Amino acid sequence: MQTTVPNQIDYPKMCRPAFFNRKTMWVVLMIAGVFWAIWQTNLFRSEVINLGGWALVARFLQAFAQPELSPQFLLLTLNASLTTLAFAIGGVFLSVVFGLMGGILASKTWWTSLSPRRGANSTRSWGMTPWLIVRSGLAIPRAIHEVIWGLFFINVIGLDPMSAILAIAIPFGAITAKVFSEILDETPSDSLTALLNSGASPLKAFMYSLLPRAFADLLSYSFYRFECAIRSAAVLGLIGAGGLGYEIFLSLQTLKYEQIWTLLLALFFLNGLADFWSSSLRGRIGLKAGCAGDCREYSKTIYRENTSPAITDRLVKFSILAGIVLVPFAFVYIRPDVGKIFASSTAAQFRYISSAAWPPEFNILLSQGWWKNIKITISMSLLAVALAGFMAPIFVLYAAKPSTEVKSKLIRGLRFFVYILSRSLLLIARSIPAPIWALLLLFLLFPGIIPGALALATYTLGVLGRLMAEVVENLDNRPIQALKAQGADSIRQLAYGVIPLTFPRFIAYLLVRWEEAIRATVVVGLVGAGGLGRLLIEQLSSFNYGGVVAILLVFVVIIFLVDLISAQARRDFQMTGETLSINNQSLSL
Amino acid sequence: MESVYKLIGVSHRFGAFPALTDIDLQVNAGERVALVGPSGAGKSTLIRLLNGTIFPSEGTIQALGQEIVHLRPKHLRQLQAKIGTIYQQFHLVDTMRVIHNVNAGHLGSWSLAKSLLSLVWPRDVEIAADALTQVGIQEKIYEPTHQLSGGQQQRVAIARVLVQKPLVILADEPISNLDPERSREIIELLANISLESCTTLIASLHAIEYALNHFQRIIGLRNGGILFDAPAEHVSPEMIQTLYRITPVE
Repeated sequence: MQTTVPNQIDYPKMCRPAFFNRKTMWVVLMIAGVFWAIWQTNLFRSEVINLGGWALVARFLQAFAQPELSPQFLLLTLNASLTTLAFAIGGVFLSVVFGLMGGILASKTWWTSLSPRRGANSTRSWGMTPWLIVRSGLAIPRAIHEVIWGLFFINVIGLDPMSAILAIAIPFGAITAKVFSEILDETPSDSLTALLNSGASPLKAFMYSLLPRAFADLLSYSFYRFECAIRSAAVLGLIGAGGLGYEIFLSLQTLKYEQIWTLLLALFFLNGLADFWSSSLRGRIGLKAGCAGDCREYSKTIYRENTSPAITDRLVKFSILAGIVLVPFAFVYIRPDVGKIFASSTAAQFRYISSAAWPPEFNILLSQGWWKNIKITISMSLLAVALAGFMAPIFVLYAAKPSTEVKSKLIRGLRFFVYILSRSLLLIARSIPAPIWALLLLFLLFPGIIPGALALATYTLGVLGRLMAEVVENLDNRPIQALKAQGADSIRQLAYGVIPLTFPRFIAYLLVRWEEAIRATVVVGLVGAGGLGRLLIEQLSSFNYGGVVAILLVFVVIIFLVDLISAQARRDFQMTGETLSINNQSLSL
Repeated sequence: MESVYKLIGVSHRFGAFPALTDIDLQVNAGERVALVGPSGAGKSTLIRLLNGTIFPSEGTIQALGQEIVHLRPKHLRQLQAKIGTIYQQFHLVDTMRVIHNVNAGHLGSWSLAKSLLSLVWPRDVEIAADALTQVGIQEKIYEPTHQLSGGQQQRVAIARVLVQKPLVILADEPISNLDPERSREIIELLANISLESCTTLIASLHAIEYALNHFQRIIGLRNGGILFDAPAEHVSPEMIQTLYRITPVE
C-alpha cells in the first residue's frame, strides 16, 4: 500500500507551518502574563500565610458537625433563602424584559428589516449606524458589577428590595440583550423575509417569524441567567440588601460558625436546585433537536441536523408555568416599593449624584498610584483565571457524566460516585460568593492580592468546571467513536479527539471568565483585597461620586481592551463558523 | 481462501427494536463487498458490528480469526487497529490540522509518547504526505480540517485509513454526502486501494450502479435480514426492485 515517491518534483514541497505561529504566541503570552502576575503578588518576598489562624480554622471546621438547627434559626434561614430567590427571580424577570427590547434593537436583522434597501449588502450602509450605537451602548452597563449597581441604587432609592432587583436587572439586561440579539441574528430569516415582502411591518413580522422560532433558545438562555442571578443575589446580600449573603456576613462578623454552616448549606441547596433545573431544561431543549429517546446511540446522523426544538416537552411546559407562578410570588414576597423609582426624593437624589459625579475626579486615582492599582487588579484576575484554568480540566475529566459502556458494576458505581463528588465540589465552589471565600481565606492568609485571587479562582473554577463538563457531555462523539473503532485507547482518544475538539471552547470560556474576573475584583474589594475594586468601594462609601465615575471609566476602558484582546485570541484559536456561533450564545456568562 | 469475517446467527437490538436478525455471513480476504438496501435495513448496524463499536445481542462474530465478543479491551484494540472505517460524515476532528487527522490512523500502533509528541511537532510526515498524495490532496497537509470541502474531508478520512494499513476497510455510506462526480472519484479510489493492496473492502452504498460496477459481491439487506448475497454479475434488476419495494405498513 505504501507507494514510494519517485521524485520530490511530483508535487510541490509542503512547508511545515512555523512553530511560532499566532496560537503559540498566545500561549507564550498567557504564560508570561501569569508569571508577571505572580511577580506582582510579592509571593516570595512577603509573609502570606498567617499561622495564627489555625485555631480559628479548627473551630470553624468543628462547627460543621453541629450546624445551628434551632427552629427560629431554621425559619430565618428559610426566609433568607426565599429572599435571595425572590431577588433573583425579580431581577431575571426584568432583565428578560429589557433583554427582549434591547435584543431586538441590537440585532442586525432588525435594522436591515427597517432599512429600505434591505437584501442588498446593507450591513455596511449608514442604516446600520443605530445598530452600532445600541451594541456599544450595551457594553457599559455590562462592564459594571452588580454590587456597584447595588450600591448606586441604595444611594439613590434607599435600602429597598427594589435596589437589589434593579442591581441585577440592569447588568443582566444588557448581557441578555446582547445574547438575544445574537440568537435572533442566527435564527434562519427566510420566513421573516417572506412576511416583510408581503408588506408586514417589521415588528409584526418579528412577532410572527423570528421570535417564535427563537423562543426555545431565548427561554433556555433566560434560565441560564436565572442560575447566575441566584449567585449574584447572594453577593448583593453583602451590601445590606438582605438574604443569605447578608446573614452569612452577619454570622461571620459575630463569629457564629454554627450558623454559617446552616446558611452555607441552604445556599448550596438553592444553587444546586437552580443549576439542576436550568441545566436539565437546557439539555432537554438541546436534545429535542430532532431526536428522542436513545437516538444518540441508535442514529448517528440525525441529532445535529434539525435544530428547531419542540416546546411541547413536559419539563419545558412545567418550567414556563413555574415562571408564570414564581414571578408574582417573588414580587409579593419581598414587596419592592416600585413607587420609589418615580418618587420626587429619588429624582432629587439622582440629580444630586449626577451633579456630584461630573466632572470625574481623576486626581483620586493619581494620588493613590493609579498604575499600581491597575496592576493589582489585572494580576489578581490573571492569577485567578490561571489557577481555575489549571484545575478545571482535572475536575472536568471526572465531572462529565460517565459513559454507560463499562460493563463491570463495581467500576460503574465507583465512577458515578467520583462524578457526584466532583460535581458537588464544583457546586460548592461556585455557590459560595467570592467575597465569602475571601473572608474564609483570611483566617489563614494575610490580606492582599493572594486571598483575593484565591477567592476569585475558587469561584471561577466552580463556574468554568461546570460549563466545561457540559461541553464534554454534549460533545459530538462521532470522531471519538471513529478513533475508538480503529483501536485507540482512552489516553489517545483524549489527545486526538476530546482535547482538540474542546480546546477552542475551553480557551474561549477562559477568556470570557477573565473579563468576568476583572469585573469581579470589585467584589473581593469589598473585603479589602486591593486594587481598583477596593478604591472604588472606598470612594462609594465616602459618597465621593466624582472619584467613583473616574474609577468606573478606567474599569470600562480595561474591560473594553480585554474584550478586544480576547476576541482576537478567540479568532486565532480557530473559533469559526458553527463553533463560534454556538459559543457566542453561551459565552456571555 | 482465508476468511476475514465469519458471522454465525448474529442479531442486534436497540432496546426493543431489532436492527439485525440472525445473520450468517462469511467474507474472504481481498473480496470487495457492497451492502445495499433501503434505509433502516441494518447496513450501518452491520458495519458497526464488524468494527467492534457495538456487540451482537446474539450470535458470534469472528474477525481475522478472533472471536470479537470475548476479547479483553487491550486485545480488542489490537484487532481494531487492523480494521479501518470510513464514515458518511467523515468523523474527523475538524479543529485539528489535516496532518493530525491523518496521523490519527497510527494511534493503534504508535507509542503514547510518539502520539503526544506528534501533536506538537508532526511525526512521520512523509507517510502522511504519501497517503494524501494517493488521495490527491497532498497540498492540504497543514491546513485546518474545517476549511476543506466535503469531498476533501472524505479524502482525509481515507488517508487516515491508508496510514493505518488495515487488513479490512469498512465504509459506511462513504458517498452519501457528496455530489455525483465526487462520489465516482471516491468509489474508484476505494476500489483501487483494495485492488492494489489486496485489502478486503466492505462498503454500504445507496448507489446501485457503483456497487455493480466496482464490487465483486453484492449483499442485499432488508428489514434486518439478508435478502440476497450474489456476485455482481448475477444481480438482476428484479432483485433490486424487490429489495427496495415499498410494502404497506402492517
